[in-house]
Amino acid sequence: MSILKLENVCYRYSDADKDDYVLKDISYEFDLNKMYAIKGKSGSGKTTLLSLISGLEKCEEGNIYFENKNLKNMDLDKYRNTNIGIVFQSFNLLPHLTAIENIILSMDIGKIKETDKRKKAIELLKNVGLNEEKGNRRVLKLSGGEQQRVAIARSLSYNPKLILADEPTGNLDKDTENDILDIFRRLSHEDKKCIIIVTHSDNVANNVDIVFDLKRFNNKI
Amino acid sequence: MYILKNAYLSIIRNKGRNILIGIIILVIACASSVTIAIKNSANSLIQSYEQQYEIKGTLQINRDSLINNFDPNSQDKTESKKEMIEQFNNIENLTIEDIEDYGNSEYVKNYYYTNSIGLNSSNIETATSTQPENSNQQPNNIKKPDNNFEQNQVNSTDFTLTGYSSYEAMEDFINGSYTITDGEVSNDFKSNNCVINSELATLNNLKVGDTITLINPNDETKTYDLTISGIFTENENSSDNRMDMFSKSANTIITNTNFVNTITAEDSTLINNLNPTFIIKDKDSIEKFETELKSKGLSEYLTLSTNLEQVESATDSISNVATFATTFLIITLVIGSIVLFILNMINVRERKYEIGVLRTIGMKKSTLTLQFITELLIVTIIFLIIGTGIGALISVPTANMLLENEINSSQEAIQNVNENFGGNMMPGNNKGRFEKNEIINGIANVEQIDSINAIVDFKVLFELLGIGIALTLISSLASMISIQRFSPLTILKERS
Repeated sequence: MSILKLENVCYRYSDADKDDYVLKDISYEFDLNKMYAIKGKSGSGKTTLLSLISGLEKCEEGNIYFENKNLKNMDLDKYRNTNIGIVFQSFNLLPHLTAIENIILSMDIGKIKETDKRKKAIELLKNVGLNEEKGNRRVLKLSGGEQQRVAIARSLSYNPKLILADEPTGNLDKDTENDILDIFRRLSHEDKKCIIIVTHSDNVANNVDIVFDLKRFNNKI
Repeated sequence: MYILKNAYLSIIRNKGRNILIGIIILVIACASSVTIAIKNSANSLIQSYEQQYEIKGTLQINRDSLINNFDPNSQDKTESKKEMIEQFNNIENLTIEDIEDYGNSEYVKNYYYTNSIGLNSSNIETATSTQPENSNQQPNNIKKPDNNFEQNQVNSTDFTLTGYSSYEAMEDFINGSYTITDGEVSNDFKSNNCVINSELATLNNLKVGDTITLINPNDETKTYDLTISGIFTENENSSDNRMDMFSKSANTIITNTNFVNTITAEDSTLINNLNPTFIIKDKDSIEKFETELKSKGLSEYLTLSTNLEQVESATDSISNVATFATTFLIITLVIGSIVLFILNMINVRERKYEIGVLRTIGMKKSTLTLQFITELLIVTIIFLIIGTGIGALISVPTANMLLENEINSSQEAIQNVNENFGGNMMPGNNKGRFEKNEIINGIANVEQIDSINAIVDFKVLFELLGIGIALTLISSLASMISIQRFSPLTILKERS
């Protein structure tokens, strides 16, 4: 079942020439229960496409539909704190908070009605392989792999159907990369979520269900 | 709720910066408290001066109007001058009814008057430097068309009997020209009591409780008995002619208007001199009152004269203090706002990453702005309370220092006035004719500020709270603008 639909998506930077598109007429559908990898060369627009899907950038031409609703007509803040989870290469956690506090803050922003948010946060951390003791640490006192697990746990705090990950293993070693991929795979296949990963890594590309080669779908000149 | 929690955590996390912001707010709050205290004190002084210099209106000859009738180019200047004098002499004398009619106006707070007549006496000698045989003047007090009462009266009769309608009218006692040395000024304004000059008392061996008899100069069969209730002395400096043997008031017998009015009512040929004083409500009422007087039939040759110029010049310097205080407050607030704005700008720049992360995970711009404002508001309120407390403590002595002279002179003046009137005025005893909070002509009524409440009341607290909120909002503009402008993606890219 399609959860996300791209329809003739185009994008160019505000200071670019009229015909200098980064993305041109991209159309595609992403389904639940599947894990995707968006591949492409540096500068091919992978991260830009992810930004458009996450609503951090606005689609200039074309449309993006989430559950058949056009993003243009949606409250993008609410969309980000309810419908999608975002995981970045540099984790983007708040360093002055503990891992658990980072997750609770995300639940607060998403206005999640959870009686015991702390308990839920610990549970989420356990799902990504971190114990409570680690959860009580400031995130800067965690390793890169652990911080990325916290970032994944945070993205799951409001149970989104779609998870977007921008080079989530870019700063991690191979073993940790595999651990993170395992988590994503489980989320996609067991929890029936749609996972879209932007990556350079062949290892990641080899471990997903579908590889979306941007070069093939991007009609830019 | 989580905004509050986040705000609290951020404050704790950025202790140094928040203490710096707090110190600035503390200084602003202190300065504002003191400035407001100075402003309030200045206003209090203005109020006291306004009481001291109540707008008083008196009726006087309109000389300009009279002189306009004189034609200097006339062929017969003597005739023209004669006409002018005739007009002057034809001006109708004021009556008590006129004064009551004029005083009964919505523009008048209060009024009082004096009524003076000239009388002789059979049992007391006048205080005069001329020989007794020369002083045996014939009663010659048939009503003449001449309003220059004082001069004629002194020349034609032995004594001037002056009646006062109230204590307020007794300005000579209030301003210290006369002081009771024995007895008191009677508080019964319907009795046959009087006070006399100590020189007259000495010459005639009179003392408090004695009775003097005055004779109508037009009809010697008509006599009037007065009991002496007090003896006063005239301040040496108050006499117009210091080369005279006796003081100017030596032959003045002071009583109440009720007594004098009864005499003048019995004999309409007696010349009396009525001097009303109207306490006018405010500056704006002067012109209206003047128009009303004309409509009530006041002669065109009489005019209302006021002390407005004196009142205004007295409050000018204090108004300047109040204006200075306001200006200082504004400058403090402007500088404070600029410093806070800059600090907040630095704060926002330092927390750009946090803004980026929070926006990325879906926090709304408005919520984020609210969090930044809440943080600043918490710091502002805490330090504003401390600053106001310190400011209030400083304000009390500051305000009292400003008011010190006025407080002292006010207290002394009230004490002196009560003493001038005589009676049971003992040192340390506040019970006199005028109470502490009573407004007396020419006397300021300023009280010592002995508690913080007198300076920092709810009004001031609300003003300071308003200032605090305004400062918070102004300095939060930096974060508001930045949050609106920042693109979360750009921030995170920069960070990466």
